[in-house]
Amino acid sequence: MTEDKHIKEQKIVDQLSGTFQNLTGKVKRERRVEVSVEKKLIPSVLSYVKDQLTFTHMSHMSCVDWLEDEHFELVYILWSPELKVQLLVKTLINRENPVIENVDMIWGQLNTYQREIREMYGIQFTGLEGREEFVLEDWDEMPPMRRDFDTAEYIKDVFFERPGRDGAKDVREVIATRSGEEIPELAKKYSRD
Amino acid sequence: MREKATTLYLGPQHPGITGNMMVKLKVEGDTIVKAETHVGYLHRGFEKLMERRNWLQSFTIVCRICVPEPDPNELNYARAVEEIEGREVPERAEWIRTLVMELSRLASYLLWFGGQNGSAGLYTMPQWSVGDRDYILDLFEELTGGRVYHMYIWPGGVRRDLPEGFTGRVLQTMDYLEKQLVKYDQLMFENTIFQKRAKGIGWIDPAKAIEWGVVGPPLRGAGFKSDVRIDDPYLIYDKLDFVVPTQKGSDVWARSLVRREEFQQSINMVRQIIDKMPAGEVYNKIPNPMKWTIPAGDAYVKAESARGEFGYYVVSDGGNKPRRVHVKGPAYVHGVTLLEEVLKGANISDVSFIMNSLGTCPPEIER
Repeated sequence: MTEDKHIKEQKIVDQLSGTFQNLTGKVKRERRVEVSVEKKLIPSVLSYVKDQLTFTHMSHMSCVDWLEDEHFELVYILWSPELKVQLLVKTLINRENPVIENVDMIWGQLNTYQREIREMYGIQFTGLEGREEFVLEDWDEMPPMRRDFDTAEYIKDVFFERPGRDGAKDVREVIATRSGEEIPELAKKYSRD
Repeated sequence: MREKATTLYLGPQHPGITGNMMVKLKVEGDTIVKAETHVGYLHRGFEKLMERRNWLQSFTIVCRICVPEPDPNELNYARAVEEIEGREVPERAEWIRTLVMELSRLASYLLWFGGQNGSAGLYTMPQWSVGDRDYILDLFEELTGGRVYHMYIWPGGVRRDLPEGFTGRVLQTMDYLEKQLVKYDQLMFENTIFQKRAKGIGWIDPAKAIEWGVVGPPLRGAGFKSDVRIDDPYLIYDKLDFVVPTQKGSDVWARSLVRREEFQQSINMVRQIIDKMPAGEVYNKIPNPMKWTIPAGDAYVKAESARGEFGYYVVSDGGNKPRRVHVKGPAYVHGVTLLEEVLKGANISDVSFIMNSLGTCPPEIER
């Protein structure tokens, strides 16, 4: 990363790592800065960048399930209309006990994002208000966006094949059976099963 | 006699609702006291689906996230993949992508012209503008083979070069639309009914607009010169000459004027693109899609859609499938927290009128 080219971006990283302990940051490219913090620092970092560093616009909030590493990664994506820089604030949460502080008092629209993440990943946001159900209804399975939730298995368990439609699963196979032709070996590897 | 509050359910199926969603309204007389957005009628789990498809298969899914405007989805997905992988895009492909984006913006605004007027009971405009939108869809059909879902902008460039004589037909369509715009002015902006319905309705406090996450025409209608094409330039927008219109009113009228001016700007941009477009390759070929892996990394890309900032957060773990694709359409904020706020104190008859002016699109809320 050439630092001379990204002066304003590097300044944001320096300012944040000078203010908060255990904060690591880097300039990803022009107008893109990324910092990682501990989860207990999230409310302080978000309100600091909003009030002191002009990151007033909340663009997006996302969650990634790192099943193999046993943690969730929360990403708060902010934009500064003055500096014209996008800031990604990342934090890791333990997958066993996924709890983090609610921050919708900083940006009201975070309420929607957090409610969706609570529903889809089962992450609890301490103090989050609003309806429990966002998109799903009467859902008592594992939160569906988790990596270990297998959609195909769920469908097999819950739904049943319409009688008479059993053969319509793979068009290629149905046609081959009807016409009595063999499916060539090279096409078999793309078969649905 | 004192009026008691009642609860009204607008939607999930209602001609005034822009897709299947429900707004639960608590009303006193005709005035809304509290509004609550309920979604879940469309949920298709596209983001989960993409985690089980390889990088190229996912590309055919993304455009289906938004019906009125699928192209920003394709563009963002392609750009995010290219950013993580470090894949170069030929210059001509960037120009063609910009052309597609502007045509898509025009088509989307034509649909909006119809929706905004239809929700005010002015039914001539939808007939005209949806008919005119079809001329743009004709161009898309010729270019991509599909009228609504194009699957044209893919990682590495675009699927094929412009057909012979295509630019001439685009220019003809632009001339036609520019003429139609005069009629639209007479039918819509000079129409007393529309003016009376739109002025002072759906007011967003400009002091809170940025903090509330307002983007696109509603933000520009509140006086902010904010446009991703200028603030975070992508494609070749820095080589085009255009202005970002703003208005002060922050009501439906101001947002309508902003969109009308942007329509003209897009026509001008299409002409500039065709005038300046260089020759060359349009596609930097990707490897065998079945074996195509993307290095571990993540990217947040955004584009200015007709309704505002459209973002994609894409994560790769180094495999042949996306780890996570998270879509952020403007409606995720406009249709939930912002709508609930703006509807307070509004009249029941203005609900769909306000929804249209904010560009609410339920498929973006529940991808």
